[in-house]
Amino acid sequence: MKDNFLKDKDVAIVAYAETRLERRSGKSAFDFACAVASELFDKTALAPKDIDGLALIGPLSEAGNPFWSNFATDYFGITPRWLQTTDIGGCSATGNVARAAAAIQAGMCEMVMMVGADAPSTINRAHYGGYRGEFWEPTGLPGPPGMFGLLMNRYMAQYDLKFEALGKLAATQRAGAVLNPNAYDKNRVPITVDDYLRSRQVASPLRLLDSVMYCDGGNGLLITTTERAKTMGVNRPVHPIAYSEITNFNGRDMTPDITETGFSMVGPEALAKAGMTAADIRMFHPYDDFLIAELLQLEQIGFCGRGEGSQFLLDTDVSFKGRLPINTGGGQISAGQPGLAGGGLNLTEAVRQLMGEAGERQVADAGNAMVTGIGVIPYARNWGSSSVLILEA
Amino acid sequence: MSDKKAQRPVPRPSFYTKPFWDGARERKLMLQYDPDAQAFQFWPRPISVKTGKANLEWREASGKGVLYSYTVCHVPGAGFEERVPYVVGCIELAEGVRMVANLVGVEPQDATIGMPMRVTWEPVGDTNYYAFEPDR
Repeated sequence: MKDNFLKDKDVAIVAYAETRLERRSGKSAFDFACAVASELFDKTALAPKDIDGLALIGPLSEAGNPFWSNFATDYFGITPRWLQTTDIGGCSATGNVARAAAAIQAGMCEMVMMVGADAPSTINRAHYGGYRGEFWEPTGLPGPPGMFGLLMNRYMAQYDLKFEALGKLAATQRAGAVLNPNAYDKNRVPITVDDYLRSRQVASPLRLLDSVMYCDGGNGLLITTTERAKTMGVNRPVHPIAYSEITNFNGRDMTPDITETGFSMVGPEALAKAGMTAADIRMFHPYDDFLIAELLQLEQIGFCGRGEGSQFLLDTDVSFKGRLPINTGGGQISAGQPGLAGGGLNLTEAVRQLMGEAGERQVADAGNAMVTGIGVIPYARNWGSSSVLILEA
Repeated sequence: MSDKKAQRPVPRPSFYTKPFWDGARERKLMLQYDPDAQAFQFWPRPISVKTGKANLEWREASGKGVLYSYTVCHVPGAGFEERVPYVVGCIELAEGVRMVANLVGVEPQDATIGMPMRVTWEPVGDTNYYAFEPDR
């Protein structure tokens, strides 16, 4: 295992920002990115001149722009000495926390702004290239839901999947979205387990309510040294205490068990780095493009055993009042997925909870959180990147 | 072009995939084989994922395998509108690679993980595209 460069808690998240999620807003990633930056400046009384590091995600809506990050500095008025766009999809947000921490420790910068913004429900300029035009698109398999339909069906052949358990997770997250003013308006109505079970089939056994929906929006953080956080008088700084990431898990195996994901490696590894077991995690903010991905994470990170995810969900209160709160703001599935800024939604909610600012949905004794990322859907496997970040207040 | 209706995408061969599509035109399933690692790989790449070398051969595959997983598509991919609901499967070939493909001659209720499958071909553009059917 690699050394844990976060063990000294010498890096701190000092502020978070998030826009409301909208559908077909007519706005661009720059609109949302600037709204996020402005909120971060407001909250900290910092100005563009005070930011010397900038970490971004590559938006779908700006996918044709090879100079997205450079344009962004000009929009913000920031003059960074360290600039990074991370393109590991839904792992980019947690990945940026780790990359920013490393850059700060290396002395490349001291005050990093991290921004995720995307507007794919207004315009999606992604063009995947590579093998996809020859070996995926002509097969008729419809995008991510199709690949997750294959994954879900294979899981069902190997393990016991209870749809009531996924329905409970869907309904619980939806209750969180109802209490989340930033969630997409039309999703701020409760659903029941039956609503989930009755929702239409998309790529059977995957249903509509198993899935996220693209929205437009943005989110971000400010990260600096713990020393600097103290001089800024930050009330409740949040420390990243462990991080693990892997991309192209099982990538050289042509016939892997597709129910085995990168989380089977990075989950236990991140916990070990933090000196914790899964039972020590107060709340869980897993990347949620599809419900089955959350169940696989619960099993493979170690909250329960293999094949026990359904029973674990049925036996555990995963609401904000429960033993293991999961995606308390609705997650992406209920609040909406702001394109490739989606990973930042789970992360922002964790930071908000740890700072004690989650209002009606505040978790009691929110001392630590695990946040995860999932990035990219590869050919006939599960997902390309897996990341686990553990935060402590 | 029949105006607004989405067409099934036509594969455009790249330099290193040309032998695959040349084979497809003759209804032959060609796979890349790495003689150093003694392993097939799919989809085709310029180098071997096992060794990182460009030492790759093209071999005709048996076209036989078993269904590793499948999904019933109710929301169609482009050009598949009239087939809804249709089955897309992930087939594990005897050669030790997996292929995702449309299943023909398989009603949604008849698909079973583990069922024997064999390759078949459908005309697409000026070539053929692989599909799989039950190997009875």
